[in-house]
Amino acid sequence: MKKECVAMLLAGGQGSRLYVLTGDMAKPAVPFGGKFRIIDFPLSNCTNSGIDTVGVLTQYRPLELNSYIGNGQPWELDRMDGGVHILPPYQSATGATWYKGTANAIYQNIGFVDMYDPEYVAVLSGDHIYKMDYSDMLRRHKEANAACTISVMEVPWSEASRFGIMNVDGEDNIVEFEEKPKQPKSNLASMGIYIFTWQKLRQYLIEDEADPASANDFGKNIIPKMLQSGERMVAYRFEGYWKDVGTLDSLWDANMDMLMPGSGLNLLDKNWPIYGRTPVCPPTFVGPKADVGNSAIAKGCIINGEVKNSVLSTETSVGQGAAVTYSVVMPGAVIEDGAQVSYAIIGEKCRIGRGAVVGGAPESTGDPGQWGITVLGPGTVIKPGEKVAPKTMLDKHHNEEVEA
Amino acid sequence: MKGMHGIIFSYEKPTGLRELIEHRVHGSVPFAGDYRVVDFMLSNMVNAGITDVGVIMHGKCQSMLDHLGTGKSWDLSRKNGGLTLLPAFAYAERRESAGQFRGKMEALDCVKDYLEHIRQDYVVLSDSDLVINIPLQDVLRDHLATGADLTAVCTAQLGDSSDTYFKLDGDGRIIDTVRDIHTPEGYRCLNIFILSKTLLLHLVEDCMAHNQYSLRGGVLQRLGDQLNIRAWVWGGYAARIDTIQTYYARSMELLRPELRRQLFCPERPIFGKENDAPSSYVDPAGECINTLMADGCDIQGTVKNSILFRGVQVEPGASVEGCILFKGTVVKKGAILRNVITDKYVTIRENGTLMGHETYPLVIARGAEV
Repeated sequence: MKKECVAMLLAGGQGSRLYVLTGDMAKPAVPFGGKFRIIDFPLSNCTNSGIDTVGVLTQYRPLELNSYIGNGQPWELDRMDGGVHILPPYQSATGATWYKGTANAIYQNIGFVDMYDPEYVAVLSGDHIYKMDYSDMLRRHKEANAACTISVMEVPWSEASRFGIMNVDGEDNIVEFEEKPKQPKSNLASMGIYIFTWQKLRQYLIEDEADPASANDFGKNIIPKMLQSGERMVAYRFEGYWKDVGTLDSLWDANMDMLMPGSGLNLLDKNWPIYGRTPVCPPTFVGPKADVGNSAIAKGCIINGEVKNSVLSTETSVGQGAAVTYSVVMPGAVIEDGAQVSYAIIGEKCRIGRGAVVGGAPESTGDPGQWGITVLGPGTVIKPGEKVAPKTMLDKHHNEEVEA
Repeated sequence: MKGMHGIIFSYEKPTGLRELIEHRVHGSVPFAGDYRVVDFMLSNMVNAGITDVGVIMHGKCQSMLDHLGTGKSWDLSRKNGGLTLLPAFAYAERRESAGQFRGKMEALDCVKDYLEHIRQDYVVLSDSDLVINIPLQDVLRDHLATGADLTAVCTAQLGDSSDTYFKLDGDGRIIDTVRDIHTPEGYRCLNIFILSKTLLLHLVEDCMAHNQYSLRGGVLQRLGDQLNIRAWVWGGYAARIDTIQTYYARSMELLRPELRRQLFCPERPIFGKENDAPSSYVDPAGECINTLMADGCDIQGTVKNSILFRGVQVEPGASVEGCILFKGTVVKKGAILRNVITDKYVTIRENGTLMGHETYPLVIARGAEV
């Protein structure tokens, strides 16, 4: 059946800058905020915006993500017509290729989009934490009669050179796009969220595919090409919380933002719920000797120690005399009695032995340059009494990874 | 077809749950921070491999209907079988009972067509007001091994005198069934029974022919000599929720880790209805100790020795001790609550004080602003 707008969610990237956390799973499957995974945000935004047909483009280590999405029921995306579809690369009569770039991933699925014959296609990233009404962006796209609408937000001028910057005229028509400019002319950063008029995008994807010099990427190729060809492209200004959680620091920051009332990331807001798959576990028990403050606690935890300024995900436990501070603890991790965890991201099902010390405060290292968040990949076991220094990254085989 | 079929009885009982059953039946009373009482028996059935469950509906069933939905939360939304809601008394207008629940055998007679179409060889019958995590497959195994006609689950833990008690012979056969005895003795009936589909159909017919409506009177007592009725003794946690006092006491017990380990053992998970609440948040100024807490709570005051359901808010300076606060309860600034049970969406105004006692907790009805 014909749909007005279909969403294509780019979820195939490795997320190599999350290092040990994405050793076995794609970035959108990484747990976030206690009971969610990163992909819950764009999927919930689709549902809340009235988009009921979503293609999820997967490529890197998709098993965890596939089983998490399942039939899409948690996001009400199990539909008779439409719903959520996992789209891995597939073989065709002329051969098979991996997705070469973001644009190529959509190109390879032109057939999928055509099945719904939509007027518009939203291209979304699977690694952003934000709440956004795509229907409002679509309204802007239609009112401007644009070929492409790009969601932008104002960033501090000092940081503008880290983003793809949109230079606009007085009516927010995009006149120039600069990727990480040294001398930014505007502070409107692209959020990597696009709405295209499908027939336009379809044509540019086919042209782009025919160009052997192209990297088949939206930011590098499709957007500049459309601008160059004089297509009508407009900016949609977004105000609200948005964070690309593609790096360990930003993932940690975004989790901590949940604990700050002023950050704009309010998951308790009932008007725009974030949906996710609910784990089966009893309520959390906070023990008689526990000391919990400024922390978000998911279901199924058993807390007998101290938890301060931290995010505890589902079914984690903190033993007596243990302390967790300024840390993100992912589902199923166990912190045994007397262990100290600070400024760390603890992956799923890690076990921190009795009295072990993981991570440390910035002031604990003499040289601030040597300090950083400590990260343990899923399933890492730290022996009783072992020490893991700040900025260390370990996977479950205790292989140390170093930030590039 | 081998295997078991589940039938759960959800009906109104004239007992002391007061405000908590103003709008619901016993089985849909919230329990343990994130569940309804019926979740336990449904999960027991699902964990024992049961795929078809019929729930006999009676009385104030709206909240039960809302809760069960399609049965998806228990994996019982199936193309074949799955969850079936049985409004047994909707078609019973010609009966003299006039919609009153007079006993399980009459209720089963009302849904006889359904019983005839049961695909499985065995049927487990259970009440919906029992909090228990029991391996029903073991009960069936022993039912088959002993060659019993009917197996009744019971416990050596004595309860009220209003409960039903069994007297057993040395071999595990039930030789007497009594209730309303002054001093409880023997084995307390937990109202879980296993028997074959064939015998069940026969017993329903036989009881109706003899004006026998209850399973206790019509089968256990009347046919105790003719049938091989055996006891299966359960040694673990079992709580029947029938008065405010037992509700409060059995809830508060769950603050003990060893009881929670029994009731929420990982090999037999308890499934509840899924929800979209985010994590709970404890403020820097908030204090939360010895408390069972569901998702979506916002703790800015002090909470001790309590059970908090989803989305409870405790504002700064408020103090909650020994309380059970249902979903969406808001405790405003400076309010003090001791031994209080609040139903859903209750608001306690600023600086209000409410005191119950652990032997007689104060119950605030749904939606009240106090």
